[in-house]
Formats: sequence, structure tokens, C-alpha cells
Amino acid sequence: MILLYDGSFEGFLSLVYEVYYEKLQVNSIVKKMPETLLFERFHEIFTDEAKAGKVLDAITKHFTKEQQHTIFHIVLCDTRDYEMALLEYLRIGFKNKKELRNINNTNLFYIQNLEKELLCLVHKMYGFTRFEELEDGTLYAKIETKFNIVPFLGEHFCKRLGNIPFIIHDVKRALAFVKNNELREIRSIASFDAPIYSSEEEKFKALWKSFFKAAAVESRYNPKLQKSWVPLLYRTYMSEFMDDI
Amino acid sequence: MKLTTEDKLSLLAGSAKYDVSCSSSGSENNYKTGELGCAHTSGICHSFTSDGRCVSLLKVLLTNVCIYDCAYCINRVSNDTPRTAFTPRELADLTINFYKRNYIEGLFLSSGIIKNEDHTMSLLLQTLRILRHEYRFNGYIHVKLIPGASKELIEEATLLAHRVSSNIELPSSKSLALLAPDKTKEKLLSPLKHARDITLQRSAKPISMSTQMIIGATSESDFEILKLSSSLYEKALLKRVYYSAYIAVNNHKHLPVPELSKPPLLREHRLYQADWLLRFYGFSYDEILSENQNLDIQFDPKTFWALSNLHLFPIDVNHAPQEILVRIPGIGIRGALKILQARRFKKLCFEDLVNLKISLKKARYFIIAGKDFHRSSSLYTEKIKLALIHQGSNIIQPTLFDTSIYTGEL
Ligand code: SF4
Repeated sequence: MILLYDGSFEGFLSLVYEVYYEKLQVNSIVKKMPETLLFERFHEIFTDEAKAGKVLDAITKHFTKEQQHTIFHIVLCDTRDYEMALLEYLRIGFKNKKELRNINNTNLFYIQNLEKELLCLVHKMYGFTRFEELEDGTLYAKIETKFNIVPFLGEHFCKRLGNIPFIIHDVKRALAFVKNNELREIRSIASFDAPIYSSEEEKFKALWKSFFKAAAVESRYNPKLQKSWVPLLYRTYMSEFMDDI
Repeated sequence: MKLTTEDKLSLLAGSAKYDVSCSSSGSENNYKTGELGCAHTSGICHSFTSDGRCVSLLKVLLTNVCIYDCAYCINRVSNDTPRTAFTPRELADLTINFYKRNYIEGLFLSSGIIKNEDHTMSLLLQTLRILRHEYRFNGYIHVKLIPGASKELIEEATLLAHRVSSNIELPSSKSLALLAPDKTKEKLLSPLKHARDITLQRSAKPISMSTQMIIGATSESDFEILKLSSSLYEKALLKRVYYSAYIAVNNHKHLPVPELSKPPLLREHRLYQADWLLRFYGFSYDEILSENQNLDIQFDPKTFWALSNLHLFPIDVNHAPQEILVRIPGIGIRGALKILQARRFKKLCFEDLVNLKISLKKARYFIIAGKDFHRSSSLYTEKIKLALIHQGSNIIQPTLFDTSIYTGEL
């Protein structure tokens, strides 16, 4: 049977609930109805807060803190079809927690690697995120990333930026982490007016660019290596690469 | 003519770029609510220049004026180059503004020697004081200790910076005398010793220190270089030694002729690999090389070691402890950890290793996994060598240069 759900975390938890209580045989899980339908049986899961809540309680009881983190991390890998593997992870965890470390199981190995991939992206974006200063002193960063890493970046920069208000805007997902004094939250951003930048902004961008140029050693020129460290994909909002795109 | 901040930055970053130290890793998390900046334990690269090197710090000289005359250095007194200097405030403001925009992880501050050693060191400290006390900046700071600066100034530097360093530059006193007449080994090492002793009095761990050695300007062998690194690690003088392939910027009778000399990048790469074996894999320098030997160009140092010690192989991956697993060519620390994790559940065979994404290209000649071992070449050095060469696993792609600085896994 193919399960269809809305792609949200609550949706996935509701799905887990039904799989358990209706004893469903699952062949695959999709977020969208496919264009061509073969002769498979479809079952649509409706997100249900009460069911989701029950599953969440069970997860908190059964899994260690670290394993719970893994589960949430995987859900943030929203561009990947992680559902079958995660369902399997939960199934194994509910049955025999010790078995969760058995990376000879392809699903568990997949989960372990996917989490690593996410954390690796997070680490990269700690460095590759670029802020621009707005007129009122707020720092504003735009990002476009493979996975949803706004929560990680928000927390990271809260530690770094002291009392400076900031916004991290995930352009594709239309999400933003907003920090201002005591306020810290992730909001969905439907529309956004072009911000007004501080008068100093261009100056520091130019200074950064000239530093970046001066720091390269000509006799070791190696753009291929550079590309393997900073793939083009990451460069969209990095000021030092602006002219080359 | 008055230079703009931008001109100064180009000039002073341009002169600092030969210093390869970039990492900000290993400093503890020191975040304080409401204050600006914190250092990240594993180090964060913020960009990569067109030579493929990581940028994580604003790496600049306070000034490129210098009273010394080191033959290999672009800033030596006898060179006719434009000279300039930042004021400590200018530099502190630049650091803060770059940090806020997340261009950098912090500051790496070095300097030519202006007037005298203590005067220079005081200017560096002035910059640090503005950053730490006025701006309450907790981000990463690495400062060069000026050889010959007085003890009190070095003590203050250890209080203000996360890491201090002093470049040894050349691996022997003889070479120093030849190329850096104003420097001696004692003069270069004494600030490091002071810094170690002062910080050991304050806590159980000495301050994090590093140094750099130029490779290929003089005739020392890799054996001598690794021996020196290893004794520096042992005496807790250093956390990290950087190796920098010699790049010709001057003409000098005791230096290789610039037109003929390309930076010895492959040798540098091998030294980083060997250094990694010293720091993380439990090798000692005399296991890696014998007296006056150089590292092999064809094989990475771990493979070379394994080929010279075939009596220790094959190693059974289902039973060997971690410190033995990491000695298998092609299996790094991550591979060893995966093996340890997986073998608790079953006896591993070659196929299991492949499923765990462990590359058997090199490893298969050196291991037993369950019933599997590599039959076609008996453990006979020349045969394995041929097999390894034949599969081309040792051809170093140019894109691999330097990567071992970050991931020296072998
Ligand atoms: S002391 Fe440093 S800056 Fe001065 S010439 Fe020697 S290496 Fe260059």
C-alpha cells in the first residue's frame, strides 16, 4: 500500500499512528499524489493532532535524547524521501532499542548517513551564511539550502551576535528566524519588502572582497579545489563571489 | 600619498597570506549572553580562496615595515616595497564589522617588526585590548608573538588571545643563520616556552600554540622535519605545526632560483599526512621514516609504512582494537569507528565493509574479514606495490592537495 501524507512532522506522526493501529502494510510513502497511477492501493493520511501527540509521547518515552534528536534531524531533511527509513527506525526502536545501533541494517545506515549529511550542511552554513546590515542595525541574511537548517542557524547566531537583532531568511521555504531582544522565533514569511541597507554596508562588502582577493597565493592557484570546498550552489549570497556568478 | 583602508588591507593581507595557519579549532566554547562573539570548538571555514585554502580569520599584518632581513620574506628591510600600517583602532573596527557580517571567525594578527620588538608587541596588544575590553569581543584571536619581546608582554598576550604562535620557519639553526640572520632558534622558541610556562601556572593545560615551517627552501630531510615537529608536540610547546611549501618571492644567493622552483606541494601534502599520523594515529616519527630519509612520493606514509612492515599484516578487522585498525592503509578513524560499531552485531566480511562505504581499494591487501582475504596477491611487497600502483589509487589528483590539512585520513 502507498501512503500519502502532507509532508509535515505532525502528518508523519499521524502516519506512524495509523500504521501501528491499523496494522498497515506499507510499500512506500509519498507527499504528493503521483501523476501516473498504477494498480497500487492508495491510502491518504490526514494530519491529526491528537494522534500525532500520542506518537510523540511514545517517542519521548522510548527513545534516548540523542535518538530523539536524530528523529527530528531527519525530518528536517525535507527534500529527501526519508519516510520509509524513518518508519523503520521507529519500528526497530519500539521493538528493541539496542538494535538501533546496528548499521549493518541499510535503513539504519541510511539514517545515520543522512543525519551526518545534515549536520555537515549545518556546519558549512555556519561559515557560509552572510549578513548584511540594515539601516536600523539589524543584521539580515538570506539563505537557500538543501535541507531546513534555519533552527540550527538561529541558535548558533544567538550565541554569536550578542544583543544585535538579526533575521535569517530561508528564501525557498519562506521561513525566517527572527531575533530581537527577548524575542526568538521562526516565522513563515509570505512577502518581504526589499530592505534598506545601512550606509556602511557597501564599504564593508568592498573591503571584504579586496581582503578575499589579496589572501590568495597566485602560485597555488587551484579553482577546482576551491569549487570542491565551496560548490557554486552555496555562492549565491556570498558577497566575495557575487561578481563571478 | 595617503592610503585608503582598502589599499592597506590589500597590502597587509597580501603580505600575511604566506602564513598558512588558518584553523581556529580546538578553542573552548566561551559564549557569554549579550556579548559579541564566541569561538567554535571545531573551527569554521567561512570561505575558500582561489588557491583552495580556507579563510576563517581576518589574517593581516599590523604593519609590513620590518627591521629584520629574512631572505625568504617579502617584507624584509632590504626590499623596496610600499610600506604601510594599520592603527590598532582601525584594525579592531575592521575585525568587528567583518565578524558581525559572519565573514570571519576572528582575527589572526601578525606583524613586521617596527622600531623594536617590544614596541611592535605593544601595538599588537593594543589592538587586542580594544577588541576584548572595549567591544567585549569573545571571538577567536590568534596573535603572533614577536621573537625577543619581553616576558610581561607575552604574558598579556596569553591572557587576551586564544592562540599564540611564533614561526620557526626553518627546521635547523644552520638554515636560520643562512637565511634569517636576525633570528636564532632560541630567540624563536623562547616566547613559546614563556607562554607555555605562564599558562601552565594558571591551569592544567598550556595555551594553544602553533608554528610554521617552510618546506623546500633549505636542504633538511623530512626525517629531520618530523623529528622536530614530534619533539615540539611532546614538550607541549605546540598544538599544531604547519608546513608551507616554499614560494619564491625574492632573489637570494642561498635560496633556490625562483624561475626553477615551483612550490613543492606534493612534499607538503605528504608532510601533512605524516603529521596526522603523529598526532592522531599513534605513530612515532621514527616508525614513519628512518634517519635522513624523505617521505615517499608514490605512496602515502601509512601505506609506505605498511609495505615496509608486512609481517604485521593481515589484520583481522573483526578482532583488532581501534589503535590497530587505524593503522590499516585506507581505513581512517571514521572507518575504524564504523567497523567497531558494526562488528558488535555480526562478523564482518568484505561485502559488509563495502556496504559500510569503507573503501577496500588499499585496505583489501592488508586485512582479513571473516573468511575473506585477498588471495590473488600473496603478502609479498613487490606484488602489492604493483597492484596498488596498477589500480592508480596513488595518483594524487591536484584537487587533493591541501585537503589533508583538514581531513588527513589515510
Ligand atoms: S621578521 Fe618576519 S616580517 Fe620581518 S623580515 Fe623576517 S619574516 Fe619578514
